[in-house]
Amino acid sequence: MTRVAIVGSGTVGFGRFPEQSNAALANRAVRAALDDAGLDRKEIDGLAVHIGSPRGLDYDAAARLLALNVRFAVQSWAHGRFAASVIQHAAMALREGLADAVLCLAVIRNTKFGRHGSPGFPDFDEALREGGGPHAETPAAGLLAPVGGAAMATRRYLERYGIEREKLGAIPLAQRRAAALNPLAVMRTPMLAADYQASAPIVEPLRLLDCSVPVDTAAAVILAREDRAVTLRAKPVYLLAFQGISAGPEEFVFGQPGLGVNQASIFDYRPAGATEPVFSKSGIRPQDVDTLHCYDGFSPQVLWTLERFGFCAPGEAADWVQGGRVEIGGELPVNTSGGHLSEGHSNGWGQTLEIMRQLRGEAGDRQLPGCRTALWATTLGDAILYGSQEVA
Amino acid sequence: MGARRLPDRLAIVDFPAAADPGLLPAPIPEARPYEEGLAQGRLRLQACSACDRLRFPIAPVCPYCGGEEAEWRSLTGLGHVLAWVRYHRAYVPAFEPLVPYSVLTVGLDEGPRLFGRLADQSSPRAGLRVRTIIERWPEGRHVPSFVGAEDTP
Repeated sequence: MTRVAIVGSGTVGFGRFPEQSNAALANRAVRAALDDAGLDRKEIDGLAVHIGSPRGLDYDAAARLLALNVRFAVQSWAHGRFAASVIQHAAMALREGLADAVLCLAVIRNTKFGRHGSPGFPDFDEALREGGGPHAETPAAGLLAPVGGAAMATRRYLERYGIEREKLGAIPLAQRRAAALNPLAVMRTPMLAADYQASAPIVEPLRLLDCSVPVDTAAAVILAREDRAVTLRAKPVYLLAFQGISAGPEEFVFGQPGLGVNQASIFDYRPAGATEPVFSKSGIRPQDVDTLHCYDGFSPQVLWTLERFGFCAPGEAADWVQGGRVEIGGELPVNTSGGHLSEGHSNGWGQTLEIMRQLRGEAGDRQLPGCRTALWATTLGDAILYGSQEVA
Repeated sequence: MGARRLPDRLAIVDFPAAADPGLLPAPIPEARPYEEGLAQGRLRLQACSACDRLRFPIAPVCPYCGGEEAEWRSLTGLGHVLAWVRYHRAYVPAFEPLVPYSVLTVGLDEGPRLFGRLADQSSPRAGLRVRTIIERWPEGRHVPSFVGAEDTP
């Protein structure tokens, strides 16, 4: 199969950008990605957009306002969970010959509309759709905001496996230590175990420091086929294998299948783990992965991702992550940019850009020696296994 | 469950704050038996005609066997707590007077799992026995909630 690679990436950083329009932010990220790749704007002939209006920029506006003339365009549902799907669609379009250079673009205003879960936030009305909200929101029951569904799954998980609640703290503590080395991260002040324990409850059992930090950002990556990628300025980062989002009656964005949350069934969860397609298609095993990056709107999502993808067995992740195992210098560094918990909630793009840096050897103080493989994975089962040019 | 006597009607009480009908989804046509059941003090859900399993949310297809035929069945409203969360902030004004409040995932005795607010002073814990009550909302709408029921088998 034709191999594709990310050949350039760029971002405006993470924070608040009140003085710039969505299009201006987008253009800064696109300009950085074009410069990184050594490509001209005219060479972009595909566009894959994540999030869209009103939190971001829709594909048609992006093409019009950024002078992009494309022959392939796609835009995902406005949820962070589709970050990797956007990149996957770009790769599939390249393989099918629908385009030769596809720009993936996300402009995200997570701070502009008030609190996620409250009226006024762009997704609020989704809580009232048929079948319930995308994070199990059930407003008349008081089950509001994504944190509610995340807390419910966390409680069930802790109860089911007899996990001590304080063990969750290993994740925010690890990611804050990583963020301290990341100039782009918005939360860099040291976090101590005592800070975590004293953190205010938001929706128990989750505390403020289990929750990601909303930020605004614009991010862009450009994909091309291998024959083109090797001629460009930046070191290509190859997509070694990928797999899509799972959906169905037993899938919930938070927790694992089988927990019985959000009307899913209760059953003995046996994840595919090391036999997931992303591993079997690439020949790379979980223990070969140099760094894991995952969607961490809330700290327990990291544990569920580790279990789903076979790094440890169901119910074991809270123990597995203790003692620095997931920190820089540990056996499996996770979210080395600080992730959504400390770099800022970039709907998956901060981690994607960090994967590029780690695999190109450009991660500065956070650089993992000999980093050749990096996995993006989420609790919904989607994944992209990336490899540096050395492994590919 | 067949041996259990169908319950007397479930208690109907007022929502204990200023209920906002904008927090309820517009009723879908297929949900009429559910909505009418609540108004009469009954918790009625769909049971699959093929595999006999009860399901929630209301859907045209059984999530367990794919069956498309279903009948409406009254439940006892009894169950136990599978999980609970405690809100320390309100995301909408209607819940501001109730903070902190708890929301439960309840495994009903007949199988389905429902979310609902804990509407009494019981301390939530996994395994807590609960029964369904029905809270009255504006515009003729009703919402199931739960109270402790340690006295029930």
